[in-house]
Parts: sequence; structure tokens; C-alpha cells
Amino acid sequence: MSILPGLTELTPELYLDVNKTHQLTLKESTEWKIDIPTSSKLTIKIRSGIAEIFGTELANDIEYVFTNWKISLLAVEDVILEWKCPDISGNKALIIQQNTTSKFVYNLHFALDKLRTASFNGPRIMIVGDTNSGKTALCRTLCSYAIKNMPYQPLFINLNPNEGIFTPPGCLSATPISDLLEVQAQTWGQSMTSGATVLHNKQPIVKNFGLEEVTKNKPLYLNCIDQLAKDVNERLQNDVIVQRSGCIINTPPLSQFYDNATNQYDSYDGLLKIIQCLNIGIVVILTNDTDEEQEKEKINKLFDKLKSIIDQNSIIRFPKLSGRFQDADDTYKRSLQRAAIREYFYGTPRTVLSPYAAGADFDEIVIWKSMELNVNMQQDMINPFQLESVPIEANVLQHALVAITYADRKASSEEVSKAPILGFGLITEVNEKRRKIWVLLPVPGRVPNKAIILTSYRYLE
Amino acid sequence: MDKDTEIIVKDFNSILEELTFNSRPIITTLTKIAEENISCAQYFVDAIESRIEKCIPKQKLYAFYVLDSVCKNTGSPYTIYFSRNLFSLYKKTYLLVDNVTRTKMITLFKLWLTPNESIGGSAPLFEKNALDKIENFLIKASSLHKKNFESMLPTPTVPLLLREIDKLTAITNERLKDQPDDQKLQTKLLVLAQLKQELQKGKLTVEALKQVQLQLRQVFAQDQQVLQERSRQQQQGSTPQPNLSLPPGSTATSTNTTNSPTPNLLSMTGSNDPNNNNADSNSLPVPIPSESGLTSSLFGNISKIVAPKSFTDLQNTNKIARLEELYKSLNHVGLIFTPPKNSIVTLYDKLSEQNNKNGLNNELDGSSHNNNLPSIPLLQNVLNDCKAFFASSNVNILNTPTLQFNQSNITNENNQIVKNNLVHLLYRAKPNKCSTCGKRFGNSNEEKRSQSYHLDWHFRINKRIKGTTATSNTTGGATTTSTAKNIQSRNWYLHDTQWVKFNDDEIVSLKSSSNKQQDKFQKTTANIDIHSQANIPGENNGNTQLSNMVNLLNSNSTNNNGSSNAPYAFSSMGVSLGETDLEKKFVIVPESTQDMTFQCSICKESVNAIYDDDLGEWVWRNTMEVAGKKYHATCYYETMKNNNNAQ
Repeated sequence: MSILPGLTELTPELYLDVNKTHQLTLKESTEWKIDIPTSSKLTIKIRSGIAEIFGTELANDIEYVFTNWKISLLAVEDVILEWKCPDISGNKALIIQQNTTSKFVYNLHFALDKLRTASFNGPRIMIVGDTNSGKTALCRTLCSYAIKNMPYQPLFINLNPNEGIFTPPGCLSATPISDLLEVQAQTWGQSMTSGATVLHNKQPIVKNFGLEEVTKNKPLYLNCIDQLAKDVNERLQNDVIVQRSGCIINTPPLSQFYDNATNQYDSYDGLLKIIQCLNIGIVVILTNDTDEEQEKEKINKLFDKLKSIIDQNSIIRFPKLSGRFQDADDTYKRSLQRAAIREYFYGTPRTVLSPYAAGADFDEIVIWKSMELNVNMQQDMINPFQLESVPIEANVLQHALVAITYADRKASSEEVSKAPILGFGLITEVNEKRRKIWVLLPVPGRVPNKAIILTSYRYLE
Repeated sequence: MDKDTEIIVKDFNSILEELTFNSRPIITTLTKIAEENISCAQYFVDAIESRIEKCIPKQKLYAFYVLDSVCKNTGSPYTIYFSRNLFSLYKKTYLLVDNVTRTKMITLFKLWLTPNESIGGSAPLFEKNALDKIENFLIKASSLHKKNFESMLPTPTVPLLLREIDKLTAITNERLKDQPDDQKLQTKLLVLAQLKQELQKGKLTVEALKQVQLQLRQVFAQDQQVLQERSRQQQQGSTPQPNLSLPPGSTATSTNTTNSPTPNLLSMTGSNDPNNNNADSNSLPVPIPSESGLTSSLFGNISKIVAPKSFTDLQNTNKIARLEELYKSLNHVGLIFTPPKNSIVTLYDKLSEQNNKNGLNNELDGSSHNNNLPSIPLLQNVLNDCKAFFASSNVNILNTPTLQFNQSNITNENNQIVKNNLVHLLYRAKPNKCSTCGKRFGNSNEEKRSQSYHLDWHFRINKRIKGTTATSNTTGGATTTSTAKNIQSRNWYLHDTQWVKFNDDEIVSLKSSSNKQQDKFQKTTANIDIHSQANIPGENNGNTQLSNMVNLLNSNSTNNNGSSNAPYAFSSMGVSLGETDLEKKFVIVPESTQDMTFQCSICKESVNAIYDDDLGEWVWRNTMEVAGKKYHATCYYETMKNNNNAQ
């Protein structure tokens, strides 16, 4: 029998076990840059040593699953781990490199920790930088480190509407980081749910900006921050731990504050406004010496501007983060946004949430929209905070993410624009014939009798 | 099976499933459940029995421990139920598991034979019939084993036996040196001398020789036991329990008896003397620890008895000698790297050396001799933890000038204090890493306490999450009511005015059992409150009661997540108020009440109290108290709705 051709002998090269578990050893302070192929799944299990992802340490001998994400795993000490991914052929295909910036992150963290120890009014630090320079990763790492040694609760403020962190995208938010971040989540973790979750949930406050680019309506954006800052300041006054722990602030890419075409003089005025609003004391600029001259020029300009309002020693030029994905493109960012929306309604595989689809008649619904400014508009003629009423039509509303406010349905535009956000809904169907609209709600119940604001984000299930 | 029972049994089962390691808390929990719900005894018994049958061999023992614990703590009816299948269960398991577990099973069995005082009985734990069967089975099993062992012995020849006697004499002499006035040892020497003479006469049959051989072997085993015991006492340190490699064969009797060694299990039950116990289970030849002054040549000889191979041995010694020579010469010219004194390798070597001395008996069953030594990564862990502790214990972050905020400090490539000391604060300065989430805890009492709260929290949450998946799987089945029980959804965000007053300690506080749970109760209660106000204008009394309850709950939980947006959310939900929400309602059993059950005044069904882990209280589930009377929440709601409709 054993000599029958084709039956017994399987050429090893042809036979590739997709479920094979690979073992990988990482030397101290190297990092594994992981680009998980789209719609694939990577499983990691740490066998020994200390490994962390964006500052969150992984438990040993526990399986972690990552999907649709670009991450860097840092070996704090020598690490032996097992990984499994059907779409990565083996250890040879991995990018493993020396981590060059973690030592600076440690310096930065302990410098912040010193300020936390020294004063009951903790440091407020803002991270700025270009697209893909590692802003979010640095914020996440600093937040994670801050809670590790002492029971601090730093307030993380996300001012980049393109990223959904604890929230769907399109909004600005502030979230006290009171416990471990979910290492497997692009969104850092969950906001509160009604049931039991594997880790402690976080409680964000949300301001709806609703547009994709800050430049689409900068006055409105700054107005949102102003509102957020008021709440943040009040919270800090009430909450001793958060106040002592300080704030870590993430920002949109610098390019959105630098306006080439129109008025160069105003460049970065937006950033300065934010710094004043939130009373920020430290700015970290992510920039590399190897950047192009033109880029450096811009950074220098920013530096000069910042000097006018904060202490020069508190403006730090920090190298762009090691292990960042320089060429992460729009498609990838879209997929992260989609994931954030999906997670808001449906949760994660570990915490499955059940949203609720509710129907409402057209006349039971009032929908507003933030104004998009364009260059041709006479700036002084219009009020940029004014909300526009949106006609209830399928082509406008279908699949749209909407913010539901606390303001009454019949409230005026002005009231609505100032109202807190109750949550988000997703318009799944607009039936013009039957004049009926279906909205996916996170919480079971009727469509709230509240004013609704349309955002620029769409989600197709 | 009614609903309550079903829930309890399901709970019990899911906890039982988690028993994949020897976990005292889990066993205690299971025992408690079994004790509290005697009415479900039959189901629990079925669950445990099927667990023993179905789980992998390694875990069977733990399930047996549950059985044991339940029976010991509660006694009847569990003892009666378990007695029925005990023998077949025990036998099946015994045949499947490895030797170590077998020994443990025998220990367990021995405990069953002793009368259990905690339940006041003077009889053994289980029915005599079942226990007898097990005993007989164990006797057969071990004698079978013994037969195998005997057949492995080399055919006894006179010279071979003579050599063994010589060795025994040597050992005994050695012992006599330590205890010169030990009568027994002197008689032993005498007996040995006589035996030698008999053998030299050479008139014994093969049968007799075999008998002698067995006897000698036994004496050997015993002597080794003594020596081992002694060396252990000398070391005084942490001596790992030697792995009991084989089920007990013969009972070692005193040296000068000539009885044939029949296993006598009942004699073991009485013995509380640890030495004696050890001798029972370790009656097979155990190589003598080489450090006990008896030189390794003796050790070599012993192995020769088991399988004579003097020639290969000699070769080995030659090889070793040559290697040693090579090593010496290499060392002389400085080509050998000696690991520094405080390196992990040295430590490991040292430990495994000691370990070899203590636990050589492991060699018998072929497992590696350093079984008891933790793996290198683990030791590395310990060492790194120590290092981190010393590096980070005396650093004051405030006195560190290099942490001042400025460009050069932050982008300092070589900030020594951060690199060498501070960085440990993020990792190993807190050496206890949660095995579930990786969160680290320190060694101070406070940290230890918060760690144990943290672990408790994981346990509770996991239990609840398990509940979720278990029920959601049965969607569409008959149990739709319990299906919806754990379904969760995203909460609305807080109103700005609430958020600024919110404190995250309400989320992360581990001590107050569960805000979320309370919040949920609060919601549903409030929900019903609104409803009854709307529907039953006549029931003023009931209304105040209810609103009292709502107020009570509100004041209990500072998490007022619902208070301002809740009314709105509730009113929108009110129309489709689900049965599930009602079933989540509960009444805490008042401390003054003796009776743990009550009868629903509407459906006349009696309701049993259940212990709620999260609340730490006995509660009646699906219950409302209105005007001093208790009803099923569902019954009450139904009736009120009908009344309302009638009006």
C-alpha cells in the first residue's frame, strides 16, 4: 500500500497548514509591526516575557484576537509568543525591527508622572503631528502607562473627528481612563453598556461635530471644543483624581490647521485657540529630523506660534513613533471608522450588544445638519453654528449615522446646537411611500422624541 | 423541572465546567449550591457523575473532589445518590488516569472509609456495599500490578542474592553507626548473616530463592525510605513531595517477619503516621540519595540489581572520566565559560542538583528527574521581579532632575534613571500579574486586597457572561423568558450635567458588588412604577410602596445614569414592557423572616428564595411586594393590566 503514488506522499511544500501555530521569539525592545491582512484574523498568545501593544500589557497564556488593524507589539523584555494567522505564511513574512522611540515615551511618561505627583492639578498635554505620525498611538500609550503604577485616571480628550475612540466617528469626546484599555479594540474599549463586560467600561462625554474634515467648518469645530472644554473643566473641579491625573489630548493632523491656499497668517490659530480653551500646558510635536525642508519649515512656524502662549520648555519635539504605519491610507481609516460604528451598536465578539430597530413616521422626526462652509461664502454674512434643516428623503438619509440630542424635537436650531448628545442612531431605511423611517438605536425603545443631527458618516450593514 | 431549578442546575453545570484545575473556590461554590438546593440534589448528582464520565482524565479527579466535598458537607441525600454508581465511576476513572492521580484517588478513598464526624455519623461516608466493592477492586488492581513487577525481576541466582545481601549489610552497618544502640538493626544484621549462610549452602529451590529475593527487595525499599527521610530532615528546607509513581503495592512489614506480603488496604486506613503512609505507597526500590554518605558506587550497584549491566556501566564511567579530564584541561587554558554566581543558570543548576537528591525516585516512572523544579522562564520571572524590586524600591520621582520638562530631557537617548530604575514601576515592580487581563498588582497588603477584589470581579463577570452566551444559544427554544435575561445594549450617554458630576469609581469600584446590575434593577423598577401610576389609579397604597422602593434603589446606587434620561427612556419602552423586565424584579428577604418561601397571592405557587451573589443577599426573584403582600411580578402586572382593561 505504501508505494501507491499520490496516496501516501504529500509534498510538504504543497501542504500548507493554514491553522498552524507559529512560535516567535522577540528580543528585548524589538517590535513586531503587524499589518493584519484585510478580513483576516490574527491570534497571539504570549508564552513568556512582557509584551505590550500601545502601552497595554498582554496577559500571558491568554489568546488575543486582532482583526482589521495595524498594530505594533513591543517586547519589553525577551518574549516568546505563539501566533496564528491563515493569511501570513510564516515568521519570515513578519516585520520585526528595533523599537527606537519607546525610551523617549518612557521619559515623557515619567516626566508627566512627576508633575502628577507634584501638584493636585495634573499636566495637560496635547499631541500634534502629521497624518500617520503616531499621535493616537502615543496618546494611547501615555494613557495606559498613566494608570499602571498609581491609580490615576487621566482624561483622554479626542479632538480628531475622524477617529472613533470609545465613540462612533464624527464627534469630539473626553473620557476618563479609569481602568485597562481593551488591547484588542481599535476603539480602545467600550462606552457603558447595560450588562456585564469583560473589562470595565468607560464613560465618555460626546460633542457632535458631524463633519469629516475640520476645515469644512472650523468655527463650528472650535465651538464644539469650547463646549467640551466647559464640561471638562467642570468635571476636573469635581473629580480630584482626574484633576490630578491631568489630560491627554489627541488632535487632527496638523495639515488641517495649516491652510495653504487662503490665509497663511491664521495658520495654527485653531490650535492656539484649543490650547487656551483647554488650558493646555505641554505640547508634543511629532516630527523627524529627516523630514523634508518644507515640513520642517511648517513645524518651526508652529513652534514660534506656540512659544507666544506656552513656556518654551514645555514644547517638545518628539520623534515620530517607531512602528507606525507611514502609508496607512484612507481606505484603512474608513474601515476603522466603520468598525467604530459597528462596535457602537453591535459590540465586540466578546461583548455582543443588541441594538434595536425602531420605526417612526416622517412627521415624528426632525433632522438637522451642521453647515459646511466653502470658500465662496461670505464669511461674515452667515452664522457658522447655524444648523440647517434636512428634508427627509431617502437619498440624503439612507444609511446615515445620526446624533440624537437631548434637545426636544421641536427645539430651535440654536437650542439643538447647544444640546448634549444622548447617543447615536443609524438610519437603515427611509420609505417615502409609506412616509416611514427606520432607525437603529443602541437602546431598545421608540425613536426618542428628540432633535436629531445628521452626520457625514454612512454605514452600510 | 421547573424554571428555578433549571436555572440553578444550569448555573451549577456551568460552574462545574470551569473546574479544569484543582480550584478550591470553585469546589466550595459548588458545594454551597448543592447544600442550599437540596431539592435539586438528583440533578446535581447527575451533573457531577456525567462530568466525571465525560471530562478528560486529568480533570476527573477534581470532579471527584466535588463529589467528596458535597457529600462531606451535606451528607444525605447526596451520599445515597452517589453510592449507587460510585463503584463503577471509581473503577472507570481509576483505570483511565495516570499513576499520580491513582494515588490521590486512593487517598480519597481512604478518607471515605473513616467515619465522617462533620455529619455526625459513625458509619463511613457511603454505603458499605459500594465501598467494599471499591476496596476489592483496588486490592485486585494493585496485586495485578505487583505481579507485573515481580515478573520484571531477574531470575534469582545465588550469587546475585548474595550480592544483595552484602549491600544490605553495608547499608545497615551505615545506619548502625548513627544509631549504635538500635536493637532492631543488630538483629537485622544477624538475620542477614544467617541468610547468607543458608544461601551459600545452596540447597534452596528456585521458588524459595524467589521468595528470598522479594523479601530482600522489601527490606531494601524500607531502608531507603529511612535514609531518604533522614536526608530530608537534614535539609530541613522546602522539600518537594516526591511524586508517588506507582499505586501501592505491598505493605512494608517489619524486617524480620516472613509473611508473604499481601496488600492490606484496611491497615492503611488506620495509619495516620506519615512515614508509614509513605512506606505504603513507596514500597518499590528507590535509589538512595547520593549525598547520604553512601557514595555513588552503591547507587550504581543498585541499578545493577534491577538490570545487571556492569559492562556498560564500566564503559560509562570511563567516558565520564575522560570527559572530566577534557573539562579540566579546557578549564585550565581558560576555554570554559563559567556562568557568574548570580546568574539564572547557576541558580537553576543548584536547584536541580538539590532536587535530584530529593526526588530521584521519579526516575522510576521515566519522567524527568527535575519534575519539581519550575521551568527556566518561571525562574527568570522570579529573578527579574527581584531585580525590579530593588531597582525601583528607593526611587523618588520628585527628586529626579532629569524628569524636568524640557527638550533635552525628554529626547535623552540615555536617561539612566528611567532606563534602569523607573521603567520597572510600569512592570515588575508590581510582580503579580492578573492571568486574565494582565493588570499588575504589587505586594503591599492594600495591593493584595485589591488584587483579590479584582479576581472576584473577574469571576463574577465571567459567570454572568457565561450566562449570557448560554441563554442566547437557546433562542427560539422553550426558554425564551430566560433568553432575554442577559441581553445587553449600549447605554445612552450621560447628560452633560450628569457627566461633570460622575465619578469613574462607580464603574471601577470592585467592592460594591455591581452598579450596573443595580442600575438595571432600578430601571425596571422605575419602569413599572410609572406604569402602575398610569394604569392603576386606585392602588394608592401600592403606588407609594413602589415609589418608596424606587427611591430606595435610587439612594442605594449613586449611579444615577437613568435619573434624568430614564423617565424618557422608560416611557418610550413602557408600551412594550417585557416579561423579562418583570422577572428581573426581586425582593430582598427581610432578615426578620424565618420562612424562605412565600406563596404568590395570585397564582398560589410558592416561591423559594435564592442567594444572589452580586447583591450578597437572599432574594425572591420575579417578586414584588405591594401593600405588605408579595406577588410574582409577572402575575401582578398581568392582573393589573387586566383590571385596567376592564375599567
